[in-house]
Amino acid sequence: MGSAETLEIFPLKIRRDLIQLSFLRIPTRPGATRPLFDLLERHNVPVRFFLEGCAGDYNRDLIICISNEDFTRIEPELDEVKTRIQAQAVELVHSVAVVRILGPHFDIRPGASALLFGALQRADITVFCNATTITSSLCVISDDEVETAERVIGRTFDVPKKKK
Amino acid sequence: MSFLAGEPVMDKHSKTLEIMRRIGAPKPEKIRISGFLKSPDLASLTLLLPGGDTDSFSTVLQLMGDHEINIRFINKYRDSAGNTSLCLCIDAESLDTALIVLDANESSLGIRDFMYHPQVRIISIYPHKERPRVAERLLTTLRMHGIDILSTNNASSVISCVLNTEYVEQALACLADVFELP
Repeated sequence: MGSAETLEIFPLKIRRDLIQLSFLRIPTRPGATRPLFDLLERHNVPVRFFLEGCAGDYNRDLIICISNEDFTRIEPELDEVKTRIQAQAVELVHSVAVVRILGPHFDIRPGASALLFGALQRADITVFCNATTITSSLCVISDDEVETAERVIGRTFDVPKKKK
Repeated sequence: MSFLAGEPVMDKHSKTLEIMRRIGAPKPEKIRISGFLKSPDLASLTLLLPGGDTDSFSTVLQLMGDHEINIRFINKYRDSAGNTSLCLCIDAESLDTALIVLDANESSLGIRDFMYHPQVRIISIYPHKERPRVAERLLTTLRMHGIDILSTNNASSVISCVLNTEYVEQALACLADVFELP
């Protein structure tokens, strides 16, 4: 792969003041997660981050990030949702941010993802979750680490300044 | 079970009741989208790594990069046991190289569990626009048709899922039934 300096990316898109909700070990059956998505839809809650993975034994893990404000609105109904979707655990991570890195074309540049995550790790930034597809990567990090992450990513890739 | 007036005759969380609610319910309106994307042939690797400070996630990516392996899809999160669950999709022709590399570094990476699927593809729906019902419709429709979803995520404007190649055409056909294309 060419020098990191040649990798120009789009300006970072950062969403702050979010909460990460992990619904862990949900049974894999059709419609299992419907009560959760119905709740979000009913309250017009945008899902800023979404990931589902295999948890073994025919179970799934589902992670979402939504705004703290939206969380306050749906919180009273979350216990019922947890029961209905039969999640074995629900974990919350407060004060997180989602940083979107768009443009490095991870799919055709071997090592591009290692550049990004190696740099974040060297800066002691914990990436709670990551969803990467083709040329876009969403990193869930602590809200406190956003400024550091911006600096690190700015040194790793060529990030144009935002127009004022 | 009680049949007294005013009392519920069945637990409101009952699966039977959930099914009964859906039977006879009108077919949900199609969700308008711009299109589907289908990736080329890929292979998927799912690793369970130690979590916490010893997270070897970026080392795995570095090893893949050192061996010129493209990565088209990443899902990384902490599971219920505190391990890092990592799902990668790489070019199908790179699978043998990736397996050799991971095998050679198994103990230094602390790999706790590992599985792979040699022939997968990623189906993406765009735009996602952070709408909960798009994710719900995607997951439920595929599972209603018995299609095993290996991994799902959203990134930017698309929502993507990893499927074994044998299910891809069936998946696209049933998704075309519930999403409206221009």
